[in-house]
Amino acid sequence: MSAASGLDTEGLGDRASAGIQLPDALLAAAEAVVNQVLALDPEGAARLAPVEGRVLLLELTGFGTRIYVVPGESRLFLFGAYDAEPDCIVRGSPVALLGMVLAEHREDAVFAGAVSIDGDNRPAQVLGEVLRGLDIDWEEQLSKLLGDTLAHQLMSRARAGERWAERSGDIAGQNVREYLQEEAAVLPSRAELADFLAEVDTLRDDVERLAARVQRLERGL
Amino acid sequence: MTDEKTHFGYEEVPVAEKQERVRAVFDSVAARYDLMNDLMSLGIHRLWKRRTVELAGVRRGQRVLDLAAGTGDLAERFARIVGPQGQVIMSDINGSMLRQGRERLVNAGIVGNLDFALANAEALPFASDTFDCVTIGFGLRNVTHKQLALNEMYRVLRPGGRALVLEFSHPTTKPLAKAYDAYSFSILPTLGRLVAGDAASYRYLAESIRMHPDQETLLGMMEQAGFERAGYENHTGGIVAIHRGYKL
Repeated sequence: MSAASGLDTEGLGDRASAGIQLPDALLAAAEAVVNQVLALDPEGAARLAPVEGRVLLLELTGFGTRIYVVPGESRLFLFGAYDAEPDCIVRGSPVALLGMVLAEHREDAVFAGAVSIDGDNRPAQVLGEVLRGLDIDWEEQLSKLLGDTLAHQLMSRARAGERWAERSGDIAGQNVREYLQEEAAVLPSRAELADFLAEVDTLRDDVERLAARVQRLERGL
Repeated sequence: MTDEKTHFGYEEVPVAEKQERVRAVFDSVAARYDLMNDLMSLGIHRLWKRRTVELAGVRRGQRVLDLAAGTGDLAERFARIVGPQGQVIMSDINGSMLRQGRERLVNAGIVGNLDFALANAEALPFASDTFDCVTIGFGLRNVTHKQLALNEMYRVLRPGGRALVLEFSHPTTKPLAKAYDAYSFSILPTLGRLVAGDAASYRYLAESIRMHPDQETLLGMMEQAGFERAGYENHTGGIVAIHRGYKL
């Protein structure tokens, strides 16, 4: 039952009564934000075309929240209910779903059982690709506010800064690791760690064999 | 011409005159219609329309007819959902409103799968069994013969198709009804005068809402037209109701 729209009868359609459902007004606001982001990369958003008008149901396990995602022309519609059979149902905890969108190998989440997909997985796949592949031209957005020249200078500085930070970060990380492993010998190197784990395995097996031998001797007495 | 009378707000007018007078009202308010809707409903009309889209459950490739489409809020959403294989026809009896709507949607980049029809809902210029979904949002109460319009909506639907009527209705509780009356008959015409420069038209809108059949009566009319599994839900305490029925 939606407080925002004041629905006060049993209502039509199959609004899920169990679980935490998001109010329409909140979904409308979320939809507006998502579409503003999509509008920043029109080419990326245009890649939604093959799944326009398909119905994707997201079920957040643990909360029982259901969100229908209907891709439209260069935009997404988000609904709390949608009176059409979903083409695709994606179930998972919010963390698992977010992880799948961000992960390098999205199949992992499905194989691990954290996320399940029923029906035609194409809408989910295309949607994930569009969201991950958004390439927002910040310089263009900034130039609308500040003008081309200033925006370009700012973005060049920002990009140079980003590269510097990345490089310095890498080098600093390597230096710290080397110091801790080789000089201070506080942390083991990868090879030392592997040797140690192998020795632990051997020791455990030895102890089990010894226990078995002791048992056999006891029975023989 | 017959002597048959119908209501125009609280006035009794000859049937032949009503259409003309409704046209005059909408000619007068067309330019500021969206702004007035926001003011009149405090923006809640957006949520009512969203809910209508949810209940329509339109999908890729379907054909949708939006009657009394006004400035095209519903038609715009449907056109974005049905995609290039689908088709949306936006229809209104009023030329000024339809022109406003067309201009707005073309500017919003909705082209290709959207067509426009200047048509009377009582006699639709479409073949039977044509549409997957027919909607009429805030329009039925201005139609002279509502039953004829419902019959026509039923006729042009494909078997399995659904019709939705989003319309002002009757508040379900007394205190709300009182507050709503006060609002409609004192604040609304004043707003109309200030924003659209036309108090009389907005008084008509408020009166026409009072003369519109209540939830159960409209449900009966839909069943009369042949709709099956018909039902309705109230929003904002019955100020608005969404009726839905299927052609099976």
